[in-house]
Amino acid sequence: MSMKRGVSLYSYQQSQFLKELDLEGQVREVSQNLGGADGIELVDEMSLRYPDPGDDFVRRWFDWMDRYGAVPVTMDVCMDVLQFRDHVMTHAECAERLEHDIRLAKRLGFRNVRVLSTVPIEVIALALPLAESLDIRLGKEIHQPMRLEGQQVLQVLDLADRTGSAHLGIVPDLGIFQTRPSPVQLQWFQRRGAGTQACDAAVELSGLVMREEAPFPVPDTSTAGNLRAAFNRYILTGDCEPALEPTFAGVRRFAEERVTAPEPLDFTVVAEALTLSRTSPDALRQLTDRVINVHAKFNNMTEIPGRPGENEDIAIDYPAAIGALADGGYQGYLNSEYEGQRYFQDLPREQLMDEVDQVRRHQEMLRRLTAA
Amino acid sequence: MFDNLLIRADSLCNDVVDGEVVGFRLAVRIANYRGVFLSLHNGYYLEVDGVVYPRDVQTFEVNGKSPRTFEETTAAVWEHWDYDDEAILHVRLPGGLPPGEHIVRFQQSVLAAYGYLPTDEEWVHTPPEPGTGAGSDKTPYIVTYTLTLNEKHAEPEAVA
Repeated sequence: MSMKRGVSLYSYQQSQFLKELDLEGQVREVSQNLGGADGIELVDEMSLRYPDPGDDFVRRWFDWMDRYGAVPVTMDVCMDVLQFRDHVMTHAECAERLEHDIRLAKRLGFRNVRVLSTVPIEVIALALPLAESLDIRLGKEIHQPMRLEGQQVLQVLDLADRTGSAHLGIVPDLGIFQTRPSPVQLQWFQRRGAGTQACDAAVELSGLVMREEAPFPVPDTSTAGNLRAAFNRYILTGDCEPALEPTFAGVRRFAEERVTAPEPLDFTVVAEALTLSRTSPDALRQLTDRVINVHAKFNNMTEIPGRPGENEDIAIDYPAAIGALADGGYQGYLNSEYEGQRYFQDLPREQLMDEVDQVRRHQEMLRRLTAA
Repeated sequence: MFDNLLIRADSLCNDVVDGEVVGFRLAVRIANYRGVFLSLHNGYYLEVDGVVYPRDVQTFEVNGKSPRTFEETTAAVWEHWDYDDEAILHVRLPGGLPPGEHIVRFQQSVLAAYGYLPTDEEWVHTPPEPGTGAGSDKTPYIVTYTLTLNEKHAEPEAVA
């Protein structure tokens, strides 16, 4: 048996926002137009009326699954710790929210729940007994700039060992195999005023980071979004967590040496190199037994020069990632997760990227690489 | 995200109550790829033709309920602003806006996040000021729109 293919409906976030493709249309696209894909993954707070989508919806949902031959694979859930506004949610409160989402996933026939990379392991431990009792597997996302070799994965493996649970694992986001900023992201920065020197410096620093030759320490414990916010605050105010200071000062110096009269946005661009995980494909091979499903992240599919009809994302090392999963005997789902649409959303509507086309190209690549 | 799509282009119009123009309104969407509990919504940086309209003159109409202040929405801890839904931002301005084109500078503040952040405790007591980028996860810059005052009375788009 080989790997199975599906799509995270996150990929169609813009089509949904613009009301070009509703949830049923998204399910139909996945199951009818992607050459044998059948897996459905979704973000509950994007795709559903939340927190309760209602019984009528649940009936329609299962009707779509039957009609289109689709399989509910994974529900992605969020954690907003300021929900109550008068205090920061405790671990127990976060676990209650996760338990709600586990029940919702079960109600819709999902097999897995993806928890965010930032969810403390204590929260997962509190919710694990319910997941076990409902036969739902919990997968903690491992997202760039985290790496498979880091503490986040060890915590999951430790908890699984301690509890003997078969319902706990990881959801690797293949952005951890990114090697450089995506060209579409750099073009987006340039339209907002970043210089070509800053973009070149970001690509140069990416090369150094990938070869472990950066002239300062590179963290692996934050999320990309949180890291960006912290760095931008540092550039504007000079303040940051002490542990991040050598890194942020190093990026600033690196940029100042290469960019003439850098603006805050130029620093932001260069700091994108900090979001690379530098993880090893062999770590993924060794962890295959604990992979719940895979977020097959991509930002921009383009045709491979000289190979009509074949596509690639030049910024993510897909051959290495898929090869590692194949060597590890992975038989679960690879779910396309397109994220590049946001890098066109400053442009007029007619220039927005076509998500449906991007996912079709990506599925062509997955078909080809998994058949190899 | 959705830079040019966060305000519906034809939605800027004056608010009329009992025949009197009490302010103006805009139809808005969430600047994220998902909805959030309404309590997390922290108001707007809103500047029209160089004049800033702070949170204390803003109210928010969503989910078929009357407009609420952003103080009142902090209590909506189990009510969700769903991703698909348009909401109406009302701004108190006796006499409203004059006809014609207006330059609108806009940033939405929603305290959605990926898990715990160093700013959590601070934001319980002192939420960030919209416009600073803090608490504006996916579109942390101010976006500029050129909008023409719609002389017709715009209603929220029907919920699908």
